[in-house]
This record gives sequence, C-alpha cells and structure tokens, in this order.
Amino acid sequence: MMKKGLAYFFACVGAIAVHTAAVAQEDYTIGIRRSASVGLEYEIRAGINIGGTSPLPLPVEIRQIGSYSPTFCSSIEGNAVKWFGERRKWGMLLGLRIETKGMETDARVKNYRMEIVGDGGERIKGNWTGGVRTKYRGTMFTVPVAATYRINKRLRLDCGPYISFATDGDFSGHVYEGYLRENDPTGDKVVFEDDRIATYDFSDDLRTVQYGLQAGINWKAFKHLTVSGSLLWGLNGIFKKDFDTVTFTMYPVYMNIGFGYAF
Amino acid sequence: MIQGKKIALLPLLMCGFLFGYCIREEAPNAEADIESCTLPGDVLNREPEIGNDRITLYLKKGTPLTALAPEFTLTPGATIVPESGTVRDFTTPQTYTVTSEDGRWHKEYRITAMSDVFSNTLFSFENTRMNTNQKYYIFYETGADGKTTMEWASGNAGFLMTGKGKTPEDYPTSLSADGYEGSCLLLTTCETGSFGTMMNMPIAAGNLFTGFFNVTEALSSPLKATHFGTTVDKEPVSLSGWYRYESGPTFYTFDKGSKKMQPQPGRQDNFHIYGVFYESTDEMPHLDGTNALDDANPNIISVADFVGDGDAAEWTEFSIDFKPRPGRQADPLKLAAGQYKLAIVFTSSLHGELFEGAPGSRLWVDEVRLTNKEQ
Repeated sequence: MMKKGLAYFFACVGAIAVHTAAVAQEDYTIGIRRSASVGLEYEIRAGINIGGTSPLPLPVEIRQIGSYSPTFCSSIEGNAVKWFGERRKWGMLLGLRIETKGMETDARVKNYRMEIVGDGGERIKGNWTGGVRTKYRGTMFTVPVAATYRINKRLRLDCGPYISFATDGDFSGHVYEGYLRENDPTGDKVVFEDDRIATYDFSDDLRTVQYGLQAGINWKAFKHLTVSGSLLWGLNGIFKKDFDTVTFTMYPVYMNIGFGYAF
Repeated sequence: MIQGKKIALLPLLMCGFLFGYCIREEAPNAEADIESCTLPGDVLNREPEIGNDRITLYLKKGTPLTALAPEFTLTPGATIVPESGTVRDFTTPQTYTVTSEDGRWHKEYRITAMSDVFSNTLFSFENTRMNTNQKYYIFYETGADGKTTMEWASGNAGFLMTGKGKTPEDYPTSLSADGYEGSCLLLTTCETGSFGTMMNMPIAAGNLFTGFFNVTEALSSPLKATHFGTTVDKEPVSLSGWYRYESGPTFYTFDKGSKKMQPQPGRQDNFHIYGVFYESTDEMPHLDGTNALDDANPNIISVADFVGDGDAAEWTEFSIDFKPRPGRQADPLKLAAGQYKLAIVFTSSLHGELFEGAPGSRLWVDEVRLTNKEQ
C-alpha cells in the first residue's frame, strides 16, 4: 500500500512540476517579476506526512510497540514569502496546506486506564493489560505563519505557528489478547483471548481545531525545484477537551517531506 | 523496540533522540491478587475456589478449623497481611489484606474454610448480600447457627461488564419481594447492549446455581465459566418448589456474522430447572455448561430435569425426581468422603447458554426443597 501510495505521490509531484513549468515558461510574467522586485516569492509544494499521534513522552503503561506504520499521508501546499530589508535575510511566510495525518500502531500496554461508552450509553471502565491496535487518519486545512531566514541563496529556514481545521477524522481500533480489570486494578479480571476483541471508535471525539509549531528547511536544488523538510509539532491534543476515555493527551507530531516549485 | 518501514526512521530518530520517545521503565504492579492458596498437609478435599476477593477452602470432613495456616502466592511484588503461613482460627471466615507492589491498591480477601459439607434442604431466598462494589445481589444460605453455609453462584459478575446494570434490579439474577413466602429469586433474560453484542453474547439469561462462577473465563469460554456443583454427602431424591414464569415477547437467535439478533416468530421462551448429582474426579472436578447434561458424561449419577412448559401467572408447584443414569449408582464410601457434588441450576431461558431466548423472560422461584435419601 505504501509503495503504491508513494508511486502515486511522485506521479502527482511530477505532473504538478511539469505543468507549472510549462505554464511558467510561457508566462513567467510581469506579475511574478514585479513580485520578486518587492521581495515576494511564491511556491507550491507536494509532500508526505510521516509521524504519529502519541502521548509525549510515551507513558509507562505502553510496554511494547509491536508495529508502526505511518500510512500514506500526503500534503499539498502553497506558500507566499515576503522578504524584508535590503539584504532580504529575514521574511514572513504565509501558506495554505491541505494535508492528511495518520498512523497505524499495534502496542502492548499494561494497566492502561480506559473507559468506553457503548451505543446505548453503557459505560465500562477499568484497567486493560494486553494488545491495542489503533488507526488514526485526519484530513485538514492548515494555515502556517512563519518567520523565514535565508542562510544563502539556496537554503532557507522557517519557523512559526500553524493552525489546522479538520474536515474529516477517524480514530478507531480494537483491544485484544489480554485482560480487563473492572473499574480498577483490584476489580474482577476478565480475559480476552483468541478472537475476542473489543472495538472502539472515537472519531466523533476528535477536535476540529489543532494548532502547533512548525520548523522547516527549504533547499533550492535547482532554479525552480525545491526540497523541503518540516517538523510539525502539535501543541494541543487531537481529542476534544471533555473527552477522557483516552487518558493521555495525544499530540500529533509529524515530519513533512516535500518537493516544490518556486516561481 | 520500534519497528517500522524504513521511511519512518527519519522522524522517529528525530523525535526519539530529542524527546525520549522510547519505552520507559516498567511501573511496579498495580494488581493485588492472591493467585494461589494451599494448606500444608493433606487436609484439602479439593482445589480451593479463588474468586476476586473471596476464597473458599474445602477441607476433608472433620478437619478442625481452629488452627490453619494457608500459604499464598500473590501478584509479583505484592504483600499480604497477615503473612502467608500465619496460623489462624478459621471457625469464622478470616480477612487478609493484599497490597500491590506499587503500594497504591489494597484488596481485602475473605477466606472461608469449610470442613462440613453443605446440608441445607430448604431454599427460601431470603438471604442476600451485595457484591463488593455494591452492584448486584448474591444469595446465600445459612446453617442453624446463622453462619453462611453456601453462597449461590450466578453470572451477574459477567453482566456487570456490559455496563447495562444501573441498579441491582437491572441484573439478570435479582431479588423480588413478591415471593410465595417472603422474598424470592427473580431471574430475568436481559439484553446485554453494544458491548455484549460485540462479544457475541447479545443476551444474558438470569441464572442461579450451586457452585462457582469464574468471571475470568466469562468471555473466553462462557460455557466453562459456570462451575456447577457443591460437595454433598447425601444422595438427592427429588427437588420441589414454587415458580411463576412470564416469557418475553420476542424470541431471538443470534447471527454472529452480522452481529444481529434474529427474531424467531413462533418460538416461545421457556425456563429450565435441573439438578445433577455427580462424582467429582481429578479429571472432571466439576461440571460446566458444556457437559452438565451430557448423556455420555460418565461422572453423572442421576439427573432431575424440568423444562418449563409455558407461562404461569400464578405460583405453581413443581416436583422433579432424580433419575439415575443407566448402570450408575452412588458409592457410599465415596459419598462419605465428599467425592460427590450436587448441581442445582435455575435459568430464565432454556437456551441461554447459546445466547438464545426472549429478552424480558422472567422466572420467579421460591421455597425450593431438596429431598435426600434416608441413610
């Protein structure tokens, strides 16, 4: 799946680059030149997000991570940078990014406090020891605002806050092979084995607005082609404030790697 | 430690080294269980029953209870007061407190030692107590001295896990003030809601039985979680009593594939009351839902079986005889040595163990009398 996703991604990048190059060549117009003359630059960028949504640092309840997959999460972004001063060392970046963030994990936990609410309002709470599979995928619009610093002609750093508005999200999974202690660690012990699983779906409890900080590096490999890497560090949890089933705050922390076209 | 696709390494390394993104040292255990319990010397008649906070030790007949020194194994790191091996007087049940390794959790165990076999013959369902967290009723019997002689088992501890029981009356096994005389047993077939359905157990029939319900197994092997039978030293002849029955409106079976309850028009729910007298052996210390009525079970001596035959709005009397299985009879020596057990089982849905029945079916039972063979 990953491979297919990557192939698709590179195909998209290729298409965008070819297209924009064609447009640009024909029409590297007065507008762009004028912009450049007042210190404005534009770029578009396609990338992938690799990372996870996790409590930080990992809580002691997590004993083992059996598998982790970043899944295929893409981003498409347009940025404008305004450079200041004579030397144009410093500037401001404003952008718009459409992106997905996701992951799939399989972990073993010990004495993990949980509470789930059933369709009919039934509540079960207790402490789980055993396997937990989790799938997260969120689609969002993100607006980054960053200070930029030009190290040299090719290399640019940026750092600043971002705000994301989620349009769609899925956080679900199941617990398996383990046992639940009802209410607290001294409660009745119920073993789950073989194909007994308990599924959960907290998609409705995901937050709409996420924010965080991003720090990136942008390298102009050729005149128009840029390669970039950004760390996207979420500062609020992905779940709504009043949601306490997952007792840890889950922060989205992702690396965005992308290729862009600079006009 | 963290495996993944190669592409994941970059951010993981970044996060990992910068922010300590790795598995932390294991926390001390929070559980406070007695995992096993034994008595020195050859005094136990059978394996102790170890519940979450109660243990029953079945001693050989006539063993004095005044000076016993049970030995325990606990959750690793946990401690117990009084210590394992302390000599105590078990004429009355004794309390032990287990503290978890992390020191945050304490659990009190009540340990009962019994050297007399259970000998009650009239069950009026007047005695109940609440379980430890005050959620559901537990029925018990007392002797002439007022001491508990036997606690009835039920699947209530399993129903607790469905989150459906808000009051003790919501549970499948409950108490009704509306008895034939005084209060009585009330068994109700209940829906188990989204969690029960998720576990392929969409209904829970009310049940009460002599023996032990091992809630730990309730999900993994529900039929085996019901350990039927308690030791007796007399051979049963008949079981009689009073009942009322009201079958629920719609009978359902369950389709595991679609996780949907399938209404079965034309099928009516019925209750089931039965007694099984059997030999407890090392290979088969107790009967359970898989073999209690099995025709081929070599341990069964006799069975009294009463499948309900429709609703009964008024209190109705029943009387069922224990019919010996062909060629089987009790050995008086084994009987005296406490090697036989008697299972008495009441349930509000005949096929409750298959999770088939009509939610809302209710069985009231009162003044049940066990008649034993004169010796």
